[in-house]
Amino acid sequence: MLFEAEVNGKNYEVKVNEARQHWKVSIKEEDADWVNYEISKEDYQSLDNTISFIFENSSYLVDAVGSGTEYTVYTRGAYREVKIFNDEMLLHESLKSGSAMGDSDSLTSGMPGKIVEVFVKDGEEVTKDQPLIIMEAMKMENEMRASADGKVKSVNVKPGDNVESGQTLINFEQ
Amino acid sequence: MMFKKVLIANRGEIAVRVIRSCREMGIQTVAVFSEADRNSLHVMLADEAYHIGPAPSVDSYLRIDKIIDVAKKSGADAVHPGYGFLSEKADFARALKKAGIVFIGPTAENIEAMGDKLASRELMKEAGVPTVPGSPGSIRDADEAVKASNKIGFPVIIKASAGGGGKGIRVVHDPKDLPSAFRACQSEGKNYFGDDRVFIERFIQNPKHIEVQVFGDTHGNVIHLFERECSVQRRHQKLIEEAPSISVPEKVRQQLGAVAVKAAQSISYIGAGTIEFIFDNNTKEFFFMEMNTRLQVEHPVTEMITGVDLVREQIQVAQGEKLSITQDEIQKNGHSIELRICAEDPITFIPSPGKIRLCRIPQGSFVRMDSYAYPGYEIPIHYDPMIGKLIAWGKNREECVARLQRALAEFMLTGVKSNIVLHKNILNHKKFLDGSYTTQFIDQEIADRDQQELFMFVDEKVFLISAAITAFKDNQSRDIPQYNTFSRWKNLARRDGLRR
Repeated sequence: MLFEAEVNGKNYEVKVNEARQHWKVSIKEEDADWVNYEISKEDYQSLDNTISFIFENSSYLVDAVGSGTEYTVYTRGAYREVKIFNDEMLLHESLKSGSAMGDSDSLTSGMPGKIVEVFVKDGEEVTKDQPLIIMEAMKMENEMRASADGKVKSVNVKPGDNVESGQTLINFEQ
Repeated sequence: MMFKKVLIANRGEIAVRVIRSCREMGIQTVAVFSEADRNSLHVMLADEAYHIGPAPSVDSYLRIDKIIDVAKKSGADAVHPGYGFLSEKADFARALKKAGIVFIGPTAENIEAMGDKLASRELMKEAGVPTVPGSPGSIRDADEAVKASNKIGFPVIIKASAGGGGKGIRVVHDPKDLPSAFRACQSEGKNYFGDDRVFIERFIQNPKHIEVQVFGDTHGNVIHLFERECSVQRRHQKLIEEAPSISVPEKVRQQLGAVAVKAAQSISYIGAGTIEFIFDNNTKEFFFMEMNTRLQVEHPVTEMITGVDLVREQIQVAQGEKLSITQDEIQKNGHSIELRICAEDPITFIPSPGKIRLCRIPQGSFVRMDSYAYPGYEIPIHYDPMIGKLIAWGKNREECVARLQRALAEFMLTGVKSNIVLHKNILNHKKFLDGSYTTQFIDQEIADRDQQELFMFVDEKVFLISAAITAFKDNQSRDIPQYNTFSRWKNLARRDGLRR
């Protein structure tokens, strides 16, 4: 899996692959060559809610706290904020922020895309987690579900429509 | 009288600290808490707990009326104020007395005598306690300035009485520079502030913060429990305290203790108090600054080197008992250092409230942690960012420092930023290790370090690799079927796409 990352003002590309016995992590700092690390799973273990990480024979207790594409990594009393993301994570994040129905009374698109399918119609009662729309964005189809029980007031799009970021797709009754 | 129940009018680590001594003495404890503190450790540890109002301390921990109501309702015999909040409010001591409840602390008169910094300095001067030498009034001309400075002793600092922001202030080391510096201050004072009055004081070149723990009882006994050095400060707040001070020679130590006792006696002081001095590390002279009429944050280092439980002693004195020890019986043994652990950015010192994820507190021989932090605890934004104090004892300073370094290496606190890493740096710093540090230490030696330097204990790649593997796992465990449950073909194709 390929990520872009930013730590302490520097940009990196990071490749992570999981093998049976180890993690393969390759890091490329801007303008530098790829550096490969093969980290035995023995040396990177989750224990007691922390990660015990033996890196080049230094033993670290690590806690990596993530929310979406941003992680804070704590170890040895120090910490770093690490931004790490790939296309899929960006998409997931934007959909998550776009499809919240709790505060607003509408479903909006988190990013530009194309409507593939619409499962509900005007006046329909929906329940939490019921699929509402499938939208294609960044070459992936993504299902958007109701975040709460409610009643559809109006569906503003139909399959095949191109939509902009922030566009209202469905209105709900208050 | 023996207390059966004590109310603790405080929160955080000090409330926990007081509860502990009460429990050891067989005294029931009553906690009070604000809305923001329902989940705070002192509420869980006390025998009883009462909600006293909204999060802001003016509406809760500073509400004398509410605290007295709870004290009455719960049947508490006495109130321990901790430090901060109401601990140095004479009104509180009076209101409790009126309500027939004992205030575990000095008398209202003691608090008032020391409450005003300038007035207390005059009071101490009269009692024969040394204060920073200075001109008694404003100085009119250069001749007078020379005379006054010779009496005070060089170096001196000339201050325009209205001066500030670096204007109207001159430090003079050489007497021959005095007349011109004096005239410069006088004219700056006049031009910038419209006031040409000028004062002269001794300039303390290598100032250290040295304080002496004193204790008085209601039977007229006053003792001291040696000094503490608290020169490691950021933003005028103490960060590291130790006892004894490495910079105080034995002879000066005796004088410090005697002077502190004299100061406390002069106001018939009752309970735990601290006399703060500014200490000139060049001349080894000390001058009275102020007296804190409460238990100090840094009291544990004194407990560690004397073996006296200061909170227990406070309670016994409040019960009307004599001090449990005499001056002759107090021995200092070894060395103790306390590190204040704060949820704050170690570089900017900006508080970092939030939820603690992991909290593994150091253990092992001669290490003590006074703290209210626990995993999952949300540090509220309303109060002090200090979540605890890491204290160690050693038979000498080197052993004590090594023990603290070891303890810091064990300390795991995540979810919030903390100054643990700052302490690691300080404990490795030459000037801290040789004891030559002054109150300027943080500003001059530490403050401009960047993260890179401060985080030298970690290989940078550890952060990145850990984040990458965690992000990878999070990505894999994300509920992918949620997007495409309808077609297995799409699902497979999609997974295939992801694998590429």
